[in-house]
Amino acid sequence: MLLKRVGAAIFAAALLYPLAGLFVPVGAWQWGNGSVALDAVRVSLVFTAIAMVVVVALGTPMALYVARAPARERLWWQAILLVSVLLPPLALGILLSLAFGPHALGAFLDRAGLRMTNTPLAFVVTQVYVSIGYYVLGAVAALDSVPAPLEVQGGLLGHDRWSVFWRVTFPIARLGLAVALSLAWVRALTEFGAILITAYYPAGMPVAIWTSLENFGLPAVMPLLIVFLVTALPLPWLAHILAQRRLSRA
Amino acid sequence: MLDAHVVKVRPRFTVDVALRVLSGEACGLFGASGAGKSTILACIAGAEAPDAGHVTLDGVTLFPPSLPLHLRGIGYLTQDANLFPHLRVGENVRFGLTNGARDAGAAWIAELRDRLQLEPIWQEPASAISGGQARRVALARMLARKPRLVLLDEPFTALDRHLVRELLGALVHWQRELGFTMVVVDHESDVLARLCERVIAIEDGRMVQDASWDELRSEPATPLLARLLAPL
Repeated sequence: MLLKRVGAAIFAAALLYPLAGLFVPVGAWQWGNGSVALDAVRVSLVFTAIAMVVVVALGTPMALYVARAPARERLWWQAILLVSVLLPPLALGILLSLAFGPHALGAFLDRAGLRMTNTPLAFVVTQVYVSIGYYVLGAVAALDSVPAPLEVQGGLLGHDRWSVFWRVTFPIARLGLAVALSLAWVRALTEFGAILITAYYPAGMPVAIWTSLENFGLPAVMPLLIVFLVTALPLPWLAHILAQRRLSRA
Repeated sequence: MLDAHVVKVRPRFTVDVALRVLSGEACGLFGASGAGKSTILACIAGAEAPDAGHVTLDGVTLFPPSLPLHLRGIGYLTQDANLFPHLRVGENVRFGLTNGARDAGAAWIAELRDRLQLEPIWQEPASAISGGQARRVALARMLARKPRLVLLDEPFTALDRHLVRELLGALVHWQRELGFTMVVVDHESDVLARLCERVIAIEDGRMVQDASWDELRSEPATPLLARLLAPL
């Protein structure tokens, strides 16, 4: 038992080892271009928050539908959702810029004053595309944990579908939904490849880190890297730990 | 009155049963495992959609088209108590009552709580009580809304005889008091005999006999029914 535990500890240490990079001397840390860095933090946090509102608003009804669909139909929907999850980010960025470009939907959007390149709209739409598949697939798994007979009972006890969702389905599935949302949050916040193509401006944290690295070197990257880690890690980490704790209690 | 004709295609056979149960009457569905009895109840409750047929209750059409569950006025109890695990026992029992009805129904809830001996566990999380306690809570929760029709799908399976006797007594008492219509599925002919005067026998999704208990016992319509009714 002790030997196995030591083996697991070595595995865990190796897994966390990249974090040691934070303590490697790279020279005095500096904010590079300070205002650009702070702008990047603001852009990433605000736009990711907006993207998450869209992801939850559109993704939750879809997840509910898929979770309660007949097995064969459900497989089709999951296959489609998986495509969005498995598309390489760089390829997705190129496809998005083409699909929303002037030769396709972009022409109509342009006329409506909605530009889909290097704008906040392009940034948010890209974030939604890269993250919504993760949210919906995770939410489907969370909703699967709610036995259908409980929802039937909720209905027969006089509650309409909306009320059953809020009083039965959501309370039981909420931690799983939080985990799904946290995955989507990380995916959207940390997206680099697709954003690089569709919305190089306004620069979010990943793009700002990349340009700081190119222009000023490692000392200019480190502070932003810390902010990046602090904003990306705690939410999903906490959601997962809470979900696991609840599972272990059940 | 419940007027139902349930047609539901199953892999092995098609359930096709028509039944009428008068208001306030208690009717049993009897038959071997897998005969389609639970399917009939699930289709009447709305937990499953029939493939054809019709269901009306006191003149209100439940199917087709399918009436939303919350408008059906049906209480449905199965082998699984299906309590809401995130709520306490008391919250489960009161789940079906609106705020106004909670005040008006306080005496009724107290009666359910006392008769079903739920007082000691009233504040307990529903996920922390035993299986027998959960069935009592489920019964109280179902009756709290005073449904017009009560559907019982083997709700007493795997309970000790003392508890079954207690629950049967309570059900008979409340059916007389409230006058609800009742359809009961059970393997145990003793349970059905205690609750229902009339019984419908089902085999492979078809009705094979509609009779009183005495008639069914003295003249079972099929050899399988005779075997099911024979003492061990």
